[in-house]
Amino acid sequence: MRDGSLLLVLILLPFVGAVLAALLRPNARNTEAWLAGSVAGGGLLVTLFAYPQVSDGGVIRYVIPWIPSLGLSVTLRMDGFAWMFSLLITGIGLLVVLYARYYMSPQDPVARFYALLLTFMGAMLGVVLSGNLILLAVFWELTSIVSFLLIGYWHQNESARAGARMALTITGAGGLFLFLGLILLGRIAGTYDLDGVLKAGDVIRAHPLYSTVLVLVLAGALTKSAQFPFHFWLPNAMAAPTPVSAYLHSATMVKAGVFLLARFWPVLSGTPEWFTIVGIAGLSTLLLGAYFAIFQQDIKGLLAYSTISHLGLITALLSFGSPLAAVAAIFHMANHATFKASLFMAAGIIDHETGTRDMRKLSGLFRFMPYTATLAMVASAAMAGVPLLNGFLSKEMFFSEALEEHHETILDTIAPYVAVAAGAFAVAYSARFIYSVFFGPKPTDLPHMPHEPPRWMRFPVELLVVICVLVGVVPNLTIGPFLRSAVISVLGPDTPAYSLSVWHGVNLPLIMSIASILGGLALYWFLRRELKIDADGAPGMRGIDGQRVFERILVAVSWRGARIAESWLTTTRLQPQLRLVVALAVLAGAWAMAGSWHLVPPVNLHGLDPVLGALWAVGMVCSVAAAWSARDHRLSALILVGGTGLVTCMSFIWLSAPDLAVTQLLVEIVTTALILLGLRWLPKREGLPPRKLDLMARYRRGRDLLIAVLAGTGLAGLAYFAMLMPRPPSVGDYYLEHAYVDGGGTNVVNVILVDFRGFDTAFEIVVLAIVALSVFALLRRFRPAEDNLDRPFQQQEQDANDEVRRDREVGDTLKDYMLVPSVIMRWMFPAISLFAAYLFLRGHDLPGGGFAAGVTLAIGFLLQYLAGGARWVEERLRILPVRWIAVGLLFSIGTGLGAILFGYPYLTSWFQYVEIPFIGKMPAASVLVFDLGIFWLVVGAIVLVLVAIAHQSLRTRTRRSAAERQEAA
Amino acid sequence: MSPDTMTLASFLPALPEIILAIGILVLLLVGAVAGQRATALVTGLAVVTIVISGVVLVLSPASGVAFSGSFILDGFARLMKLLALIGSAVAIIVSVGFLRAQKIDSFEYPVLILIATLGMLLMISANDLIAAYIGIELHSLALYVLTAFSRKSVRSTEAGLKYFVLGALASGMLLYGASLIYGFTGQVTFSGIAAALHGEAPSVGLVFGLVFLIVGLAFKVSAVPFHMWTPDVYEGSPTAVTAFLAGAPKLAAMALFIRAIVVPFAPITHDWQQVIVFISIASMVLGAFAAIGQQNIKRMMAYSAIGHMGYALVGLAAGTATGVQGTILYMLIYMVMAIGTFVAILAMKRQGVMVEGINDLAGLAKTHPLMAFMLAMLLFSLAGIPPLAGFFAKFYVFIAAVQAGLYALAVIGVLASVVGAYYYLRIVKIMYFDDPAPKLDPVAPELGAVLGLSGIFMIVFVVIAGPIGSAAELAAKTLF
Repeated sequence: MRDGSLLLVLILLPFVGAVLAALLRPNARNTEAWLAGSVAGGGLLVTLFAYPQVSDGGVIRYVIPWIPSLGLSVTLRMDGFAWMFSLLITGIGLLVVLYARYYMSPQDPVARFYALLLTFMGAMLGVVLSGNLILLAVFWELTSIVSFLLIGYWHQNESARAGARMALTITGAGGLFLFLGLILLGRIAGTYDLDGVLKAGDVIRAHPLYSTVLVLVLAGALTKSAQFPFHFWLPNAMAAPTPVSAYLHSATMVKAGVFLLARFWPVLSGTPEWFTIVGIAGLSTLLLGAYFAIFQQDIKGLLAYSTISHLGLITALLSFGSPLAAVAAIFHMANHATFKASLFMAAGIIDHETGTRDMRKLSGLFRFMPYTATLAMVASAAMAGVPLLNGFLSKEMFFSEALEEHHETILDTIAPYVAVAAGAFAVAYSARFIYSVFFGPKPTDLPHMPHEPPRWMRFPVELLVVICVLVGVVPNLTIGPFLRSAVISVLGPDTPAYSLSVWHGVNLPLIMSIASILGGLALYWFLRRELKIDADGAPGMRGIDGQRVFERILVAVSWRGARIAESWLTTTRLQPQLRLVVALAVLAGAWAMAGSWHLVPPVNLHGLDPVLGALWAVGMVCSVAAAWSARDHRLSALILVGGTGLVTCMSFIWLSAPDLAVTQLLVEIVTTALILLGLRWLPKREGLPPRKLDLMARYRRGRDLLIAVLAGTGLAGLAYFAMLMPRPPSVGDYYLEHAYVDGGGTNVVNVILVDFRGFDTAFEIVVLAIVALSVFALLRRFRPAEDNLDRPFQQQEQDANDEVRRDREVGDTLKDYMLVPSVIMRWMFPAISLFAAYLFLRGHDLPGGGFAAGVTLAIGFLLQYLAGGARWVEERLRILPVRWIAVGLLFSIGTGLGAILFGYPYLTSWFQYVEIPFIGKMPAASVLVFDLGIFWLVVGAIVLVLVAIAHQSLRTRTRRSAAERQEAA
Repeated sequence: MSPDTMTLASFLPALPEIILAIGILVLLLVGAVAGQRATALVTGLAVVTIVISGVVLVLSPASGVAFSGSFILDGFARLMKLLALIGSAVAIIVSVGFLRAQKIDSFEYPVLILIATLGMLLMISANDLIAAYIGIELHSLALYVLTAFSRKSVRSTEAGLKYFVLGALASGMLLYGASLIYGFTGQVTFSGIAAALHGEAPSVGLVFGLVFLIVGLAFKVSAVPFHMWTPDVYEGSPTAVTAFLAGAPKLAAMALFIRAIVVPFAPITHDWQQVIVFISIASMVLGAFAAIGQQNIKRMMAYSAIGHMGYALVGLAAGTATGVQGTILYMLIYMVMAIGTFVAILAMKRQGVMVEGINDLAGLAKTHPLMAFMLAMLLFSLAGIPPLAGFFAKFYVFIAAVQAGLYALAVIGVLASVVGAYYYLRIVKIMYFDDPAPKLDPVAPELGAVLGLSGIFMIVFVVIAGPIGSAAELAAKTLF
């Protein structure tokens, strides 16, 4: 099976197993264990079966296309190094499954446990077997998530929850950095394929982004392998069930970081940056981890810090950059996995059988469980680096590498001292573990009576300890070939000659070993009493607690910082939001202008007619004054707005656009009048603002004024410069040329409305009709505010006056007061009607048209309402605005359809001049009928709105009187 | 100007829109005649209308421009429209139970959603500034009303008012920018503007116009600094409306953002790239930090939306086909995530009363294990954790940014997503590890179905990433 589908089986097996495990009953302990065991065992067999293909530097590859649009594929790749890790993952996985069968209690929901454990196994195999950087990042994050879920497995436990979250925050964040680093790495190498990247070492190291990539990748690797200063998540992860700690947090997952460092060692190492960052991280972790481990009271805490320290040792070895150091690093990865997994399992057995892991309570267990104690002692000795055990071999290699000169820096100088000190600490904590747990007086208040564990619970420990001893005694016969194939696959042709013998003669490393063993034993001797009663944590370091710092940062960011940011950056009030948007728009404008001020043409006032200028000045004053008085004096604001409108009309006339001017004027009048009528129903204003403003208010107003001035000036300036631009070819020219030829009219605006764009106009008047109907419908349901229900103040005064005087009726004053204007308004009605007809008829050639005529007639009606009131008008005039609208629509649309009858497209016009007696020659285009429709509709729409507003006061009056009646009753 | 350009066949590319428009008018009449009794009927028919429109969209052979070049149906438009239609249909379906429980079920609701959908389709297909503006207004006006749909609720009406006032201001700016662009290039069609800009240094006025255009569009996608309305509107609107608002409209606005920037302004990419980079960074950072302190899940999702728009804009900032592909995929995945999450929020009901606190989800894993699992998948995906869909969304845009040399943008994006991951995971922690809050009501079947489908989509995306990526690639290529 050279095609590599073996790898696919290897990767898929655990995931399939996980799904099956999740589907079983939660308490099916034996079935679950058998299932998980077979999966792990199967994986182990597949791994072993694959060995011949990778034994001499060979590589198995398996490629499935995945996202071809990005050039991504699922590439699985196994070489000697990956094989070694696969063996650890499946082999230790099998032992952990066996162990967990006895460790987990019958109450635990084991389905979830085994499902997660198998998922982890798959994810971890994915990390080591990925042949594609992106795939690697995906599996990497998956291991973080599963680790999170496994740490939080006993979620009723507060410390488990906190530990789980911390682990995920640190390793997950690191994973994201790694992800970015890998993207960059792939970008530099030109491929995301691992083989391609590994070949591109020189390009990568010479690239300007090398240090960025390095920092990002290291952020991922160092967080995962719990290196200083990110180490603190690992001890907190010990809240997980012990099989998890043994598997994830000592043997495999935490090795992912150093695995990655070794994997990219040929590509990234050898530079001063690499040596400095990795070296500092490795050496400080090595030393501090070992130091902290001495002072732990929890067995698992001790083992966790010891793990941190050993990972630091591997990191330090990798930082040196010499091939021999890399060999030692890879060797130690395997050694550490074996002895540390067995120790964790032993710790779990102690916990399981005695009910506590506190070394202050435990003592003298040797007499209850001699067999387990012996195993634990051998494993601890391996951890301490005692000769004839595997830990000793790799430690010796580390010592000799630490002595070598690699880079001439202070780090290099202190490396041997750090190594010896850390070695002494390791001996001290190992000794402490053994003595305090297994020797000494009989334990007193233990939760359970201790005894030996079940046979098969102890078996994994036995097996691992046997491996430790065999590797320690006859390394070349046991691990030799496997290590060789792993080393070759990482170092390639640069693989140095190295020796795995136990005895190299008396040399400096051996002396260092002896010194550290003796020093460590002495250290323990001095500290033993303090340790027995001391609180948790290392002296001098209790203040500097990574966990507390982490939590403080978390609190600061998540609550305090977020609150502050929220109060500064966000608001739920509308005014600041509006202010911000406008201010930002001004800023954006200024940004766009930045650096281009010299391009701005100077303002040229030459040739400006002073009269027009004055007119515009009046218009500007009106608009500013309207804005100024809008809040407190609505009436004057409205009149001022009207003034601005009039100035606009006059400008149109000045610029020879009488048609626009007429339309604008009429629209001005009608809207002003309608708003005037509506003002009555606005809520009363709440008193005048204080004359004297406090400082804050002044500041606010000043700031708003500034923003307003800037925005206004900016807009005006832009408009000005836009008008200075050469005019783009406009459709206007076309209309000017063809209005008479094609449309038969000289009033171009009107011809456009009724002919060229007749279709648009037809729809626009439909919209107008809808608007009028909507206004009517809305106002019918309108409920004015309470304070508006009374008659206006002035009217009340007048009525009161009338009531007191005997000779007057209520309403007389009003009548007298309005006598002259109302007579004029009434008499104007025929004149206005005639004017509307005039505007309508001449519309095709001269300013006017159906729209203008309609508005004019509507003004006539409006004046009648103003003069006489709604009742008076409606007693005398029958106005049915809805019918006007309907007829208007029918006419407009019908005319268009008429064209179809004659075989022309919709709304094709026909025109002719006709002689009408008394009036003379006038144009009679078919569009005239269309225009008539517009006329009717406009009148109808405006009057409908007028009626809606006018009836408001009638309705309010009836409602008020009804309310009064009710009150009286 | 000649009248013969308008034949019936020339309208064919707009057939889905025409069907939708006719459907709206018919349904409005049905509702007006039959009154509120017809609510269920109108709601059902609205979904049917969307489905017909979608089928026509997929099957329609006519591609190309219509309405004298104002309207375009290309691969990009097809994909985005299909997604928008799906989002709208789902939004109608999941709203039924909510509206009935809140006693605001009336036939106008589905009609308003249809109007907004029509506006969205026009936005996606807009090929000139005028059509873009009309689409935006049509869609926004319907959304303003929908936001204030719970007329008796002060929060809802306030939200509607705020949305309207700010939206009107932003629309005004957009229109102003568009008129400046027209004034300085003499063109309104996107391709015409591109041709006018070719080989010339852009004038100050044009850059001005471009900036204002971006302001208006940034408001629509709620990107910082024009995001202020989002939290208020999300929190204040009836939840069913928020669920709609968070999905399809965002996608449509982003589609318009892409087309209105990438096509006409391709010759001056460097002038707008830095603006988009700024907006993107600001959105990612603000979205990440402001969401942390929220206790109301709707408000949190609003900030989350702001952040996610920042990520989506990372792709646009790259200004390349890969970047646009990334943005398309981002919006696709985000729409599913947002709809799924809001459906879960719609299901947060205790003894018939809607609850919106994040702590109301405590212990959900025990009381509603399936809902908790699906929601957790969505939240993990929102956080961008592999191998869920949200990871690929981020992956596509970051890779585009890296390819375009925008390294700082990518780094800041990753940092922001670390912060962002924190508050999504906090919810997962609350659901799985905290002591249970009083039990929530059983989940309605339609909500459960949508939630389940979106959760499953998050999980299986890893398998279907290839074909979906290729579809997005094809769509993106049509713009370049």
